[in-house]
Amino acid sequence: MKLDREVAGLTCARVLEHLPDFIDGRLAPAERASVEAHLAGCDVCERFGGSYGAVVAALRRELGTPEPLSRDVEQRLAQALGAPASDDP
Amino acid sequence: MDHLLGEATRSAGDAELIARAASGDRAAFTELVERHRAAVHRYARSLTKNDADAEDALQRTFLAVWRSAATFRGPASARSWLFTVARNAALRQARPRREDATEPEALAELGARAGWGTDSPHALLEGAEVRARLGAALARLDADDREVIVLRDLEGLSGDEASSVLGLSLSALKSRLHRARLRLMASLQEEIR
Ligand SMILES: [Zn+2]
Repeated sequence: MKLDREVAGLTCARVLEHLPDFIDGRLAPAERASVEAHLAGCDVCERFGGSYGAVVAALRRELGTPEPLSRDVEQRLAQALGAPASDDP
Repeated sequence: MDHLLGEATRSAGDAELIARAASGDRAAFTELVERHRAAVHRYARSLTKNDADAEDALQRTFLAVWRSAATFRGPASARSWLFTVARNAALRQARPRREDATEPEALAELGARAGWGTDSPHALLEGAEVRARLGAALARLDADDREVIVLRDLEGLSGDEASSVLGLSLSALKSRLHRARLRLMASLQEEIR
C-alpha cells in the first residue's frame, strides 16, 4: 500500500495533505471536487479520511468542555486575586 | 457572587469586560475570570509538568490580565489575548520546548502510523470510554502537539486566533495541527493493538 498511488488525478499523499482543509470545508471548489473524486475511488483514503474526521469531531464532542475547577483551586485563585470565592456570602 | 453581578455584566462580551476591568471594574473582572478559568486552567495544564505549576500559571494569568487589561487592544480576539497571557505564564516554569533540529517526520510515515492503509481505522473510537481514551492519548503527546489540539480542537479557536497565540504563521499552524492529530491517532492506534 503506497501513498503515491494516483486515483482521479490525485495521489493519496496529496489527499492526506488536504484532509484538514477538506474536513473544515476550506478547499476551493475545484480542489474539493478532486479530493471527493479520489475518495470515491480509493477505499484506503476514504476509510482513513472518515476516521480522521471522526477523531477531530470526537475531540470537540468528548473533551470540548473543560472540567470545572475543584473547589480548592477555585478558592486559592480567588484568594490570589484578592477576592472572596464566588459562592461565599 | 452571581447575585452581585448585573445582567449587563453577565451578557457583556469579553472585550467589553476587559475594557471595564481596565478601568477598575471588579465585577467585570470577576465575570471574566469565571467565564474562562476552567479553559485557561486546562490550557495551562497542557503546557506544564504538573497540577501545581498549572495552578500557579492560572493565578498568574488572571493577575496579569487584571494588571494589564488596559493594554488589550480590541478588536483583536479577547480569547486569543487571554490564551497568550496564559501561555507566557505557563511557559515560564514549563519544561524546555522540544528541539526542532531533527528532520520533521514525513507526512506519509505519520499517516501510516495513524492507521492509513489499515483495514479499520474506525476502530479507534469504538468501544467504551472514548472520552477517557482520548484524554489519555492527548496526555501522552508532546506539549507542542497537545497545546495546538487543545487550542484548535478543544477550545475551538480559529486558525487565526491560534496562530496568534502560538506566534506561528497560519500555514505553520495548520501543519503543526495536522501532524499533532496524526500523532494522536497513532497513539490511539497503539493502544488498540
Ligand atoms: Zn487514496
